[in-house]
Amino acid sequence: MDYTFQFSEVFAELPYLLGGAVVTLEIAFISFWGGAVIGLGGALAKVYGGPALKKTASTYVTALTNTPALVQIFLLYYALPDAGILLGSMTAVLIGLVLNAGAYLTEIIRAGIVSVRPSEMDAGVTLGMSRLQLVRYVMLPHTAKTIYAPLSNFFVWLVLGSSLAALFGVEELTGRAINVSTANLRSIETFAVVAVIYVVLTVMASASLALAGRLMFRVRAKVF
Amino acid sequence: MPHLEIVSLSSRYGSEEVLKEVSLAADQGEVLSVIGPSGSGKSTLLRVLIGLTPPSGGEVFIAGERVDYSSRRSLKGLRGKMSIVFQEYNLFQNMTVMRNVTVAPIKIKKRPREQVERQAEALLAKVGMAHKQDAYPEELSGGQQQRVAIARALATNPEILLFDEVTAALDPERVNEVLETIRGLTNEGITMIIVSHEMAFVREVSTRVAMMDEGRLVECGPPAQIFDAPRQSRTREFVSSILRH
Ligand SMILES: Nc1ncnc2c1ncn2[C@@H]1O[C@H](COP(=O)(O)OP(=O)(O)O)[C@@H](O)[C@H]1O
Ligand SMILES: [Mg+2]
Repeated sequence: MDYTFQFSEVFAELPYLLGGAVVTLEIAFISFWGGAVIGLGGALAKVYGGPALKKTASTYVTALTNTPALVQIFLLYYALPDAGILLGSMTAVLIGLVLNAGAYLTEIIRAGIVSVRPSEMDAGVTLGMSRLQLVRYVMLPHTAKTIYAPLSNFFVWLVLGSSLAALFGVEELTGRAINVSTANLRSIETFAVVAVIYVVLTVMASASLALAGRLMFRVRAKVF
Repeated sequence: MPHLEIVSLSSRYGSEEVLKEVSLAADQGEVLSVIGPSGSGKSTLLRVLIGLTPPSGGEVFIAGERVDYSSRRSLKGLRGKMSIVFQEYNLFQNMTVMRNVTVAPIKIKKRPREQVERQAEALLAKVGMAHKQDAYPEELSGGQQQRVAIARALATNPEILLFDEVTAALDPERVNEVLETIRGLTNEGITMIIVSHEMAFVREVSTRVAMMDEGRLVECGPPAQIFDAPRQSRTREFVSSILRH
């Protein structure tokens, strides 16, 4: 039997789907920056912390990088109400993704910090730099440059990974795609269009990040 | 009064003492070279002098003034007078050649940018790197990076300049360009301590040569003494083993 593709019903819902894409980007942004704050703390704890801090940070990283993000969010969503904390689905997803991102970003940022060449620090010290100046002129630029590419990749991963929010009824891009396809019964067309939107999102994200990296850190990343 | 006076200086890594009561002195403008086998404590001596590695005993005086290595203020003063060039080219990789040379005078010594950049241009010209002022370190050869590092060390107007085997990591054909650069600085009144394995160079530029072994000073004297008539058998052994190569 021949199947005739019909995109018109999907295109009619394009504004609704693009609205979902905005929610997707919001989730990715919040998870990324929330995770970055945790990741910075975690990385500093792992590199400069005492034994207790080091242990805490690595337990956190091990626990969260060895279980699926989806399972972590399910736990938050179903276990916390039992403890008397009732989370909305969006809140549960955001908290879960922030915690998950924090674990990965701890490792990425840590790798950046330890990549600072001790000899450059020595040079800074002997030129008379204060601690703050060492951080500003030697450590930060070096760390930023090193972690730039992995951070960009991770952001793209978050854009795609945020689709698991749909399972909790959050109406981001994938959630809205499910709504549209249930209504118009044009699943193939709907998800094909949504796939294209994801590609556009990630390509835009990679390209703008690569461009920013090139301007700010002289990272020789390809824009495409 | 010697310009730089080192009295019974010691230092340890953990429980291992790697610098053992070394005493040395250098007058203003003197070129004091330090030779000795690998692991004898030459780098440690320089690192202690500039405050990168803490001393475990002894004293250092600059123009008669004692350096207090546990005081931040004293260290700051020290680093205004003393600069070092390391073995590995440790330029700031994220900065251009010009910025490498100017960052300390502008940001730390708070001197006016215009004036610092004019001086930096002159220094880069002096080390033959004026044409590369907008390049990044990764775009330069080892010898070129080392010459920029020398310009960077000079930009803080040091009275005392330390060199730690600055040619040891270079390709053989690059060694001379760096030695030439150092040679050009020896008559400017800067007191220099040069750690080097380039014996012909050491012999030519040094006013005195110090021989170290196992953390101790073995002997110190004019190049003619160290190379032609060493008083210690350890010096004779070391010098002849190096010259044979
Ligand atoms: N960071 C360090 N930690 C522990 N031991 C060190 C360190 N740096 C140097 N040493 C030891 O100190 C001794 C002297 O080293 P060094 O001063 O580098 O000698 P040289 O420069 O004459 O080759 C060596 O035995 C070396 O192994
Ligand atoms: Mg050494």
